[in-house]
Amino acid sequence: MRERPWTAFYGPGVRASIEAPATRDLPALVRSVAAAHGRAPAFTCCLPNGMNGTLSFAQVDAMSDAFAVHLREVAGLCPGDRVAVQMPNGLAYPVAAFGALKAGCTLVNVNPLYTEGEMARLFEDAAPRALVVADMFAGKVPAATRRHPIPHVVVARVAEFLPALPRAIAGLVQRHWDRTVRPLGWPHVRLPGALASGARRQAEGRIEPARYAGGVEPDDVALLQYTGGTTGAAKGAMLTHRNLLINMEQTLELTTGLEKGREVALTALPLYHIFAFTVNLLGFWALGARNVLIPSPRPLSNLRRAFENYPITWMSGVNTLFNGLCNELWFTDSPPRRLRFSSAGGMALQGGVARRWEEVTGTPVLQGYGLTETSPVLTFNPLGKSREGSIGVPVPSTDILILDDEGRPLPPGEPGEIAARGPQVMKGYWRKPEETAKAMAGGAFRTGDVGVMDPDGYVRIVDRKKDMVIVSGFNVYPNEVEEALSAHPGIAEVAVIGVPDAAAGEAVKAFVVLRDPGLTPEAIRAFARGRLAAYKVPKAVEVRQELPRSNVGKILRKDLRAEAAARAGQGG
Amino acid sequence: MVGPFEQAVLALMIFVIMLGMGASLTPRDFVLTFKRPYAILVGIVAQFGLMPLVGVALVALLPLPAPIAVGLLIMSCMPGGTTSNIFTYFAKGNLALSMLMTVASTVAGVALIPLVLLLTAAALDLAIPRESVVATLVLLLVPALLGMGLRRLDPNAGAVTEVLGSGLAIVFILLLVVTWVPRNWQFLLTTTPATYVAAIGLGASGMALAYLLARLLRFRRVDAQTVSLEIGIQNGPLAIAIVAFTFGEAAQPYMAVPALYALFIVVTATLVTLLFRRFNTAAEQRTPKGLL
Repeated sequence: MRERPWTAFYGPGVRASIEAPATRDLPALVRSVAAAHGRAPAFTCCLPNGMNGTLSFAQVDAMSDAFAVHLREVAGLCPGDRVAVQMPNGLAYPVAAFGALKAGCTLVNVNPLYTEGEMARLFEDAAPRALVVADMFAGKVPAATRRHPIPHVVVARVAEFLPALPRAIAGLVQRHWDRTVRPLGWPHVRLPGALASGARRQAEGRIEPARYAGGVEPDDVALLQYTGGTTGAAKGAMLTHRNLLINMEQTLELTTGLEKGREVALTALPLYHIFAFTVNLLGFWALGARNVLIPSPRPLSNLRRAFENYPITWMSGVNTLFNGLCNELWFTDSPPRRLRFSSAGGMALQGGVARRWEEVTGTPVLQGYGLTETSPVLTFNPLGKSREGSIGVPVPSTDILILDDEGRPLPPGEPGEIAARGPQVMKGYWRKPEETAKAMAGGAFRTGDVGVMDPDGYVRIVDRKKDMVIVSGFNVYPNEVEEALSAHPGIAEVAVIGVPDAAAGEAVKAFVVLRDPGLTPEAIRAFARGRLAAYKVPKAVEVRQELPRSNVGKILRKDLRAEAAARAGQGG
Repeated sequence: MVGPFEQAVLALMIFVIMLGMGASLTPRDFVLTFKRPYAILVGIVAQFGLMPLVGVALVALLPLPAPIAVGLLIMSCMPGGTTSNIFTYFAKGNLALSMLMTVASTVAGVALIPLVLLLTAAALDLAIPRESVVATLVLLLVPALLGMGLRRLDPNAGAVTEVLGSGLAIVFILLLVVTWVPRNWQFLLTTTPATYVAAIGLGASGMALAYLLARLLRFRRVDAQTVSLEIGIQNGPLAIAIVAFTFGEAAQPYMAVPALYALFIVVTATLVTLLFRRFNTAAEQRTPKGLL
């Protein structure tokens, strides 16, 4: 094994290597934590006006058992079948996700912002046999499943499992005020009904849901987490029980000072994002923390009641969230008093934002780094030893290699492609052996990011090798956006790049050559909105006479990026 | 003007509304406002300095008969009313500041109203019904504190009360206008234009000047908006009570401005609130979609 000098920065008592997780698989984690913390509050869903509902560890355990029984006995799913979950944060999410895992199924996280077309492509690839979808996004289901029907659809409310009155008020608002929920004219089951039927079967048939996961091996796929593909089509990263459990432990290990059963965590990031899934859903659960779930953090004032009503001790977020909160008067006026620290991931944390956050809250924000394919955390800044501009040191049992263009390791201080080896690296891409082989060439996962490692192990990101754009923590692949735009008959050519953006870190920008000279940028964006999730829609569209090309005719995104960078440098 | 039953219903509505307003606050909001006592102080000075000056200026500029002018001056010396809190809530202003200003000006008013009237109207022998003052305070403070406590006890109960209170507040405001007009239709027809200008102008120019003053003193925008609504919206019912108490049988002409004011301030304040709210909503941070 290589030497790992960075373990010197780990706090006292921190394990330098974690080869086996504390529990064998995710259902075992859910059960053992529930047994330990029982009636303590596990999840609290806090709506923008402060209406809330709470489920205890024992309740989540029992309800996810009932849901597992429902999936297996009522819906007739088999071990290994995919269960897609498309929901914003809410009490239904852990019940559905844990239930699917307990049933021995593979969970598939689906971004609720996806358009019908994006959903259809994902469903085609993952072929889920069941879908749990939030009512406010369920309107897209018929069109998205036309070619690939999903036999069993369960619909959940955002305010599911809240007390009756708040639930009714939230329902009235959604149906009649903001009209986000409409009646569904197709066959589906409601989540509470599904749980009731599961619980009935459990009682009648003396079913032991614990046995469903009996055949699950630690290296079986627990989660298919989709990430945009370089070729345009999304790829599902196969993350195993072991991947996720170990990564959760690797991350918690570096955040010393956490007390089991005493933390109150704020989850404003969506749980369907891999960072929130591993750190917030699994990590906070394992800690016995009370996890305050925010269905939608937009506008940021939606977080106010959660901060006022609960003594938040830990939160995770992306740069955009920390930056935004520091610009909210109510937040800077009375910053959370019990907060001890925050974790940042998903996108680069800007030095200025980290400093301002520390000024406002008096607590540090620690940056980590990782990718969907690595469950996701690869590196993290140890508490008290954070270095500005650095993504920290590798987490336990993880090796970071810096490779040259031929895939040979480079010495410290030289920039090259970051590659990673560790127990959190995915099994591969779902049904894409060539893509997997390419990403794993040389026995380490190639991240596509360019970084430098100091001799003592701290890593800095200097560039991104892939053309990927990261909009506020979400990956956007230019190919996908280009493909969507080129479907417009009035567009002859299109190239998409990422440009710096104050709020989102990066924003999508499209350069187009028009066939129809009357086409306006606004019309192009409107067209894109119908085909792409909102965060993928170009924020700016620039019309060009021609696009820069290489001598073999390939459009050169890097020239466009250089141009944009030069313009930004001039302050224009 | 209003029967005891209607008065009881109105009081009950204000109670529930203030319960809801209170449920939107935490003790920390008040602590923060106390940390900037400057704002409350400026509020009191503007309330009993700026508004009476506006009153005096309107008397000087408009051809008003003496009793109407006296009514106008009394109106201009009133403390802030409870409705200012409702409007501040809907404008997304600083509700804690608004409440504290109402309380402070109501308490200070007991001493300051006669003093200011002495200066402006030269020795009017006014009787200030203490019950009205006390009623204002009780109807503001008790439910607000209860609402705050309710929220602390159970955030759900607090949130539901807030929803209920704010819904009722809209009904209340509509009710004020809808019941006032038919009741006083004849009065509306016989009132002179100058009286209209005085009644509408007092509130409107009070809000505008208070906003400018607060901005000049470098108040934060939400605080300036709060001060503006607080200063511009006077305690109409208190003025009516004072006039009725003082002039008894002969109160009718003195009542003209307070009564008209009570109607038009609701209209003016609604417009200003919508304006402030739009401004505050537009100034809200936009976060990129990616975060959802």
